[in-house]
Amino acid sequence: MANHSATHPAHVQHHFVDSDQQFESAKMGMWVFLVNEILFFGGLFTAYIVFRAWYPDLFTQAAQELNKLWGGVNTIVLIGSSLTVAMAIRSAQKNQKRGLELNLLFTIILACVFLVIKYFEYEHKLHLGIAPGSFWNPTPEILAELSHPKANIFFSIYYVMTGIHGLHVLVGIGLMIWLYIRARKGHFSSEYYTPVEITGLYWHLVDLIWIFLFPLLYLIE
Amino acid sequence: MEAVKTSEKTTLQVKRFKPSENPTTNFFTEERGLKAWLTTVDHKKIGLMYLGAVAFFFALAGFLAIALRTELWTPAKTFIEADTYNKLFTLHGAMMVFFVLVPSIPAALGNFILPMQLGAKDVAFPRLNLASFYIYLIGAVFTFIALFMGGFDTGWTFYTPYSSDGDSATVIWVTLGVFILGFSSILTSTNFMTTIHKLRAPGITWDKLPLNIWALYATSIIQILATPVLAITILLLSLENIMDIGIFDPAKGGDPVLYQHFFWFYSHPAVYIMIVPGFGIISEVITTFSKKTIFGYWAIALSSLAIAFIGFLVWGHHMFTSGQSPVATTIFSFLTFLVGIPTGIKIFNWVATLYKGSIDMKTPMLYVFIFLFLFSIGGFTGIMLGALSVNIHLHDTYYVVAHFHYVMMGGTLMALLAGLHYWWPKMTGKMYNETLGKVAATLIFIGFNMTFLPQFVMGAQGMPRRYYNYIDQFTPFHQTSTVGSYVLGVAFLIILYYLVKSLMSDEKAPANPWESRGLEWQSTSPPDLHNFDHTPVVINKPYDYHRPMEEFQLGLAVEHNGHGEAHDVDVKETEQENS
Amino acid sequence: MSADNHTHHIATAKQLWTVGIALVILTLLTVVVSNLPIPSPLDIIVALSIALVKAFLVAAFFMGLYWDVKFNSMLLIGAVVFFILMVSVTLLDTLYRDDVVPSF
Ligand SMILES: [Cu+2]
Repeated sequence: MANHSATHPAHVQHHFVDSDQQFESAKMGMWVFLVNEILFFGGLFTAYIVFRAWYPDLFTQAAQELNKLWGGVNTIVLIGSSLTVAMAIRSAQKNQKRGLELNLLFTIILACVFLVIKYFEYEHKLHLGIAPGSFWNPTPEILAELSHPKANIFFSIYYVMTGIHGLHVLVGIGLMIWLYIRARKGHFSSEYYTPVEITGLYWHLVDLIWIFLFPLLYLIE
Repeated sequence: MEAVKTSEKTTLQVKRFKPSENPTTNFFTEERGLKAWLTTVDHKKIGLMYLGAVAFFFALAGFLAIALRTELWTPAKTFIEADTYNKLFTLHGAMMVFFVLVPSIPAALGNFILPMQLGAKDVAFPRLNLASFYIYLIGAVFTFIALFMGGFDTGWTFYTPYSSDGDSATVIWVTLGVFILGFSSILTSTNFMTTIHKLRAPGITWDKLPLNIWALYATSIIQILATPVLAITILLLSLENIMDIGIFDPAKGGDPVLYQHFFWFYSHPAVYIMIVPGFGIISEVITTFSKKTIFGYWAIALSSLAIAFIGFLVWGHHMFTSGQSPVATTIFSFLTFLVGIPTGIKIFNWVATLYKGSIDMKTPMLYVFIFLFLFSIGGFTGIMLGALSVNIHLHDTYYVVAHFHYVMMGGTLMALLAGLHYWWPKMTGKMYNETLGKVAATLIFIGFNMTFLPQFVMGAQGMPRRYYNYIDQFTPFHQTSTVGSYVLGVAFLIILYYLVKSLMSDEKAPANPWESRGLEWQSTSPPDLHNFDHTPVVINKPYDYHRPMEEFQLGLAVEHNGHGEAHDVDVKETEQENS
Repeated sequence: MSADNHTHHIATAKQLWTVGIALVILTLLTVVVSNLPIPSPLDIIVALSIALVKAFLVAAFFMGLYWDVKFNSMLLIGAVVFFILMVSVTLLDTLYRDDVVPSF
């Protein structure tokens, strides 16, 4: 190629002119992907809204089975992880390798805490027979509380929404581990931290979704 | 530094690069071999691989169509069982929509042409581009698994409760296949949007984008907004099948009409995903073969975006008889009429472009005229179907079948054929036989109308769609239609014949056989591995046929970071020289 | 060249921590408010308003939209607008049906 620049830094792919173009492209691409994510969850929120508008009583009744305390704790855990991701990006921008590694590690830990709490919540409900779809088999005491004939649908929505969100957290953990390994190898610097930036965006979106899931599922009186 | 920044203009040092007619190296000769093809990140090779895959699925689904038409030769059983018939029309529909029409123009032709029209070396994320192709193939594998497990007979729309009770295993496989395909189109459109925003060559401002790019841009927007909704719909449907979550299935307390809302929130915009890229091709071909600037550049460009937007508000016109509330039905019907406006704007501007042009009736142009004729019929009948009272009469009849074939086959596929013939010399470096091309186009026009015009008539007379048997009264219509489908089959075989033959001939195509002003034609045929052997500089609009060709062959004379310049450029020419 | 002297915005640690703490406070607030006896449509509005403020904080500062090119904000807003379209047009059907769920 006649116009291949000799001063191309190693991390810049051949079809980009410079590092900045590559960074801006990656970031825009991630935002476009987040648009996808929003409408993907948007479908679930639509189902939620339609059923809530049809059966408001069902939602007030069934939400009593969800634990506000643990839902709240998980919200704060996720907010904390968003903060650490933002700090990780800041560390990368300032060339602080140690700070980047530590913040990524904190993020991974917080994400795992989120999933563990979620696991115990699920475990507790499944134990009471509050399970999705064909596994729906509540104990008599629970059935007395959940008298609404469509109670199973609320929990279907609950499990699908939190389940898909949980999957996103799991994917996020995988990405964070990948970033951590690359950070250890010294791949990132203030010149090049694109993967940290765009994974961060993804992680914040996972947080954003939960910010809406929490009041909509747990905080119905 | 040669680049002098003034307040709004950048001065660039350029020289003329006339593309050599018969390059010794091109993207075929570099990176040879099967492995190089399968692992390539070159948008041109990926585009061609998509083209091959789309052609394969088109042949398969087209063959199914001919089998279905043959079965309908007689009112009762002709040669296949009713169950098989149901499975075959489902497969024909699902394949044509998800495997052919949706990816055909963007992923096959668009992948090849888009970066070239932007003067870029590749799309923004080449590896994701390759991934999208493999994801498409994986989606196909899932569908074939469903096929070998006995097939599915839900219709391509997978309506609940057809799809949620009965044999759910095959439905799970095929819907997961569609789910996976969705990722493929999401990756393609993410790539396109980012490339259009960030990778434009120096001088390509938004008002100098070719209309094909505007069309692909609008398509990408629709895909990005609609495809995730299909994904979640399909996922919920799968969960419905796997563990009866009861959101859509009426037997479990769910609402089947809600499924239809979700499905058509994707699938109505999806018809624009299929047709809008076709509009882009028409704009390109019509200017090249009338040697005239496009009439109403902004009207055509912005009407694509208007279609993208309004297309999201009309999905309920598929549900007029579903038990949807009267309020929604009325509003959807009204909004449906609105979509006719931007589409009409396009048709009028194309016709105005033809006016006083020096029209050259080459094969691609022939397809444009076929497109204008057939698509207008398809569009008008669509407006009629959008009218509430008429819809109640025509709903689920052959009238609807004829309508969407006029739009999808008469529209998208004709545009695809126009684009394929138009860019064939650029993509392959070979020229096809013009006479055979015209013969095939004529046969397609005759065969198409023979197949689908009778369907309007029988539909209006009450022949329901998807029926295996029919009353004797409809026999002549069905038989005409079947003969027409055979004519279409022959025409496609002719196309296959002369295209394959052109590949094997030694005759090389010139760099710019149509004397087009489009940027993609300012490179060699076939293009260099990196598209241009210089970074092109664009100072004119893409359809400035009154300007000399030299002004369209400008490239950077010196190294300069000129990509994605949002402002206009001033040009300083060095001595002319052929590269 | 223009690209090289363009620097990315670096948020200060103080900014990030302030946003984080504000988010925690808002979370506690929304839990407290949910326990108050607020009549039905109003309680949803309050809960969603708090969630929207939190979402704004995350998008503007953690995701950096406040300092970013405007187009990325447009993408986010566009996604939300189309989501709202989807919900509201679907509700036009589901809220105005003669039967709640058509009996099959
Ligand atoms: Cu439609």
